[in-house]
Amino acid sequence: METVAKRRPAKPQEGLEGRRALVVVPATDVAETIWPVLADLRRHAPWADLVVIDNGSSDGTAERARRARVKVLDLPLRLGAGEALQAGFRYALAGSYDLVFQFDARGRHWARRLASLARPILAEEADLVVGSRYLTPRGQRRKGLRILVIRLLARLMTRLIEQRITDPTSGFRAAGRRAIERFAREFPPEHPEPLALVLAWRQGLRVREVPASTRRRRPPLPTIGWWAGLGYVAKVVPAVLMDRLKRPVGVEGEVAR
Amino acid sequence: MSWPQRIVLLVLGLALLGISLHLIRRRRLREEYGVLWIFTSLGMLALVLMPGALEGAASWLGLDQAGQPGVTMLLMLMGLVFLGAVAVHFSAVITKYANRERDLSQEIALLKDEVMRLRTEQREAPLAPPEPKPRPPALRT
Repeated sequence: METVAKRRPAKPQEGLEGRRALVVVPATDVAETIWPVLADLRRHAPWADLVVIDNGSSDGTAERARRARVKVLDLPLRLGAGEALQAGFRYALAGSYDLVFQFDARGRHWARRLASLARPILAEEADLVVGSRYLTPRGQRRKGLRILVIRLLARLMTRLIEQRITDPTSGFRAAGRRAIERFAREFPPEHPEPLALVLAWRQGLRVREVPASTRRRRPPLPTIGWWAGLGYVAKVVPAVLMDRLKRPVGVEGEVAR
Repeated sequence: MSWPQRIVLLVLGLALLGISLHLIRRRRLREEYGVLWIFTSLGMLALVLMPGALEGAASWLGLDQAGQPGVTMLLMLMGLVFLGAVAVHFSAVITKYANRERDLSQEIALLKDEVMRLRTEQREAPLAPPEPKPRPPALRT
């Protein structure tokens, strides 16, 4: 992150045209990494407000974020990952934000790439934009089970929502006004990344993937084991399929699928 | 239905009724669940009073074996079905409470933030213009 700090700070996002942007950083026990992440956001996305959602951390994540003078939504109970994220959408709806970004609290994402996520929304071409690690020119070479799980899910999603999805588990996302309104009402409680795609499609939101590489982490992420991978698939695939049974919570005056 | 069976069912029915009423009186069981268990116990007592119905149902279902009415089998079957239905019902109830827990937690988080904002605002607000104080009379000793 030291190298990042040397770059010149980004100019205020052009084309934002008075629209308000919020970066939601869901954080659970990330006291170690929260400061550099917030510094990165402050430096490279000064045009956005920040909010950290502390989902029942016990290592003082919330205090650290507050000391950095960042707004913290401190959940009194540990909720599901999606439920925590939804608190951010509800906050954004209450604060009438037009753009909500989802950003990793462990430093996997680049704050200076947020603008590329916002572009399709500002151009009114999409309601939900996903930064895909596999649309980059070189593609991100990953090995092992993680990529297998992602590929499998990507194929399932592509089939299901009739649109090519390459990175269904990416947590680097931007949501426009229409998506914020719907997600504040209904959002998957667990495994929000793949499930939100289905939900978005079902509610008639336009989903778009844009290339976005991630930061390599030092030390690298522990590779997930077979059981964890299988567990993820076993939980997400039925949830994705079950999602189709649900009667959607529509926004008045609109017909949802 | 044999006499021992009827007696056991009677005792169990009465026990369930007693426990339900006791828990309701102690406010340890909500009315909605109290109703569920009271009706269950009343159903058990009804079966004791009309064993003919059970025997008829058992033969109708073809549970009779070796000329003996299959009442035992029917009772077990009813118990299983009932427990299954209760389990599904409670899953639905748990889901309802989990959703409420989510809504409440999110709301509390938003309110905490609001309280914090108001507190800092208050702290940083300029103090109310001081009342013009009457000059204290100078003490002369």
